[in-house]
Amino acid sequence: MDQGTNAESAPKPAPIQSKPMNMAATLAVCSGGWLIPGLAHILIGRWIRGLIFAACVFLMFGFGLAMHGKLYDLEFDEPLHVFAFIANVGTGIPYWVAEHLDLGVGTMNWPSYDYGTTYLWVCGLLNYLIVLDAFDIAQGRKP
Amino acid sequence: MILSHFTALTIFALIVSTVFAMITKNEPREQLRYGVFVFLSFIAVAFAVGWLMFPLPLSGYHP
Repeated sequence: MDQGTNAESAPKPAPIQSKPMNMAATLAVCSGGWLIPGLAHILIGRWIRGLIFAACVFLMFGFGLAMHGKLYDLEFDEPLHVFAFIANVGTGIPYWVAEHLDLGVGTMNWPSYDYGTTYLWVCGLLNYLIVLDAFDIAQGRKP
Repeated sequence: MILSHFTALTIFALIVSTVFAMITKNEPREQLRYGVFVFLSFIAVAFAVGWLMFPLPLSGYHP
């Protein structure tokens, strides 16, 4: 009991509160982070974190393409492909660049086709999480 | 590029655990501990699921 009371009465370190950005600037930063992975963190001054995130997303995207994964277009004929498109487009500009260069065609009989496609989905989804993290930091909700 | 199942899994786990650790934890020491935990969990679960599927027949598989 005493220990619990002492633990409760012990002074806790104050959480680090950074000054929140206004919403328009936050959304602009997050848009930049969506288009170019890692850019949002770099713009809000988290250089190391941003560079590591960028390396992770670009590396995964490169591996996905190298393994002959498929990048999905927006096709309403195949409703389930819309989810794949949403995952793919999370990568931002690299998605459109790869599409423009016909890199994400996907070779179904290639041994690592499934892995490559999964890599391409997951790197887009990771980038969404990264953008949300940048949003929280910019809004002062996270140190 | 053709990677083995295990290599593809390891690269995947490494990248995803790095991002998860950096998003969910703030201190570098916590990030390292959590990242290693997530990475090893990925590998362990993959091995466990692989062995669970071992008795299943490979019907239609002709390497």
